[in-house]
Amino acid sequence: MTTSMDRLAAAANGRIIDHIPIFCNLLDQGARELGMSIETYFSRGEYVAEAQLRMLKKFGHDNVWSLFYVGKEAELFGCKKILYADDGPPNVEDFIIQSYDDIEKLAVPDDIGSHPKFAETAKCLEILKREVGGKVPVCAYLTASMSLPALLMSMENWLELLMMGPVDSRDLLLQKCSDFFRKEIAAYRKAGADVLVYADPYGSTDIIPMKLFRELSLEWMKRDLEPGGLDGVVYYVGAARLNSVLEHVIREMGFQTYYPSPLEDIGESMRIINDRALCAGVINDIKLLDWTPDEVRAEVQRIVQCGLGGGNKFFFGTVVMPYGIPDENIKAMIDTAKEFGRSAHSGY
Amino acid sequence: MLDDVISAYNEAVLDTDRVHALQIVSDAVAQGISPEEIVFKVVIPGLDLMVNAISEGFDINLAQHFMTSQIAADVTEKMLVLFKAPPEIYGRVIIGTAAGDLHTLGKRIVIGCLKAQMIDVTDLGVNVAAEKFVDEAVARNAQVIGVSAMMVHTARGENGAIKVRKLLRDQGLEHKIKLVVGGAPFRYDPGLYRIVQADAWAENGVSALKVIMDCIQEVKSYDHKHG
Repeated sequence: MTTSMDRLAAAANGRIIDHIPIFCNLLDQGARELGMSIETYFSRGEYVAEAQLRMLKKFGHDNVWSLFYVGKEAELFGCKKILYADDGPPNVEDFIIQSYDDIEKLAVPDDIGSHPKFAETAKCLEILKREVGGKVPVCAYLTASMSLPALLMSMENWLELLMMGPVDSRDLLLQKCSDFFRKEIAAYRKAGADVLVYADPYGSTDIIPMKLFRELSLEWMKRDLEPGGLDGVVYYVGAARLNSVLEHVIREMGFQTYYPSPLEDIGESMRIINDRALCAGVINDIKLLDWTPDEVRAEVQRIVQCGLGGGNKFFFGTVVMPYGIPDENIKAMIDTAKEFGRSAHSGY
Repeated sequence: MLDDVISAYNEAVLDTDRVHALQIVSDAVAQGISPEEIVFKVVIPGLDLMVNAISEGFDINLAQHFMTSQIAADVTEKMLVLFKAPPEIYGRVIIGTAAGDLHTLGKRIVIGCLKAQMIDVTDLGVNVAAEKFVDEAVARNAQVIGVSAMMVHTARGENGAIKVRKLLRDQGLEHKIKLVVGGAPFRYDPGLYRIVQADAWAENGVSALKVIMDCIQEVKSYDHKHG
C-alpha cells in the first residue's frame, strides 16, 4: 500500500504514484478535535500528537505536524507570556527584547533538545514517530535567523532595527538567532522530524528590498543551514511572495522544496523552478471559512491543474488554515486535490 | 530649486534612505525653503505620489511602506515646530489593534502617514476593547475609527470590528464616525471588510491614508449638510 512518504519521495523525483502529496496545516483544529480549549490543548505533547493522528485519519492528507504554535520558539528564549485565544493561534505577549541593550543579554539555550520548553514538543514527536514514522512525513517549523527577531521584539521593532537601527545590534541579534537556529534544527532532526520548514518571511521582497535580501537574508540563510545541510528542508516565506527571489535562492542555496505564497502565480513558480526542485501549489485558505464546498473544489482544481501543467515535482499545500474552517471544506479541499492531482490530469 | 528637492526627497524615500531624506530637507530649509513648503509641497505630495503609484500596481515592499511613513512623520514633526502658525487639522482618527491582537506594525505605518497629512491621531495601542474605540472617538470628536488586525480570528472576532460597528449603530453614530479596517486577513480576502461591517478597508498602511481621508471627508460633508 502506498504511504504518504512514498508519495513525497515520488513527487521529489517527478513521479506520481496514486496522487500528489497533500500537505495540510491543521494546527489549532486539534483542540476542537479533542473538545478542549486551545490553551489546554497546547499544554501537552500527547494531546497534540493524538489530534494530529485523529485528523490524519479523518481527512486523509499526507503529513502530521509537531508544531504547537510559532511563539514556542520565543519561549525557548525565555518568553514568559503567551496570549491564548478561543478560536485562533496563541501569540507572544511578552517580547523579551524591549531595548537594544537586551540583545546583549539575550542568551541562546545551550541544548534545545533537553530544554524544559521543548519537552512537550519532543513528547509529541516521539508519539508521531512511533505511530506513523516512516509512513507519514512528520513536519517541524523553524523560524530563520532573519525572521526570528520578530518573535523576540515584535515585527515593528525588528523592522525598525533592520531599517534604522544600529548595525552592531542588528548583527549581534542575527548572530544569536542563527546560533539558536542551528541548535534547534539539530534538536528537531534528532527527535525525528522528517520535513523541516525553514520559515523566513523576511526572505521575501514583499517584506524587504532586494538589496537587503541579498546582503542579509541569503547570507544568514547560508549560515543557518551550513552545519546540518538541506536534507528535508523546505523554503517557506509565509504568506509573502516568493517568485522574485526564487532564482537567487535556487542558485545560492538549492533547497529541495519551495513553498510559495497563495497569492503567487503557481504556474510562474513552476516555470522558474523548472524541475530543479519540488514546489507547492498553495491555496488562499482564509477563504475556506466562507466558501461553499463547490467553490473550494473549483479553486483546488485550478491550483492543481495549473501546478501539474509545469511538471510532476508538485504537491498541494495550505498556509494558515484558520480555526473556524468547516470540516466539510477541509474534506472537499483534500478530496479534490487527490482527484485532480493525478498524472492523467496534468495537461492543463 | 524646489523641484530638485522634491525629486531628491522622493528618491531617498523610495530607497528607504532616511538619513539622506532628512539631510535633503535640512539643506533645503538652510537654503531658504520654508517649513510650510517642505510639508505641503514635498512631504504630502510625496505621500500622494506613493499612494497613486501603489494604486496603479507599483510593487512596494513592506520596508518601503514603513520607511515612507517614518520619514514623512519625522520630517513633519521637525517642520511643524518651525511653522509660523499652527496648521489646520484635517481630521481626527482613533486607531488601535483589535481585541486579542498584539501586532503593531501596520498601525504604526498608518499613524506616520496620517500625522504627515495633518490628521490628529490617537493611538489606543494593542488589544483594544470595542467600547474603548467608540468612547474615545466620541470624546475626541473623531471622524474615523481604525481597527488593525493581523490575524483571522481577531479580524473576524465578535469583539473586534464587528462589535465596534454594533456600538456605533446602537448609539446612532454611524453618520458621524466611519469604521476602517486593515491588516493581513483583509488583504487575503478583499471581501472580508463587508463581513465585519466596516465602511472601508486599506490594503496597506500607505494606502490607508487616502481611504481614511475619504472617510473624514464623507463625515464632514454629512455634517455640513445636516448642520
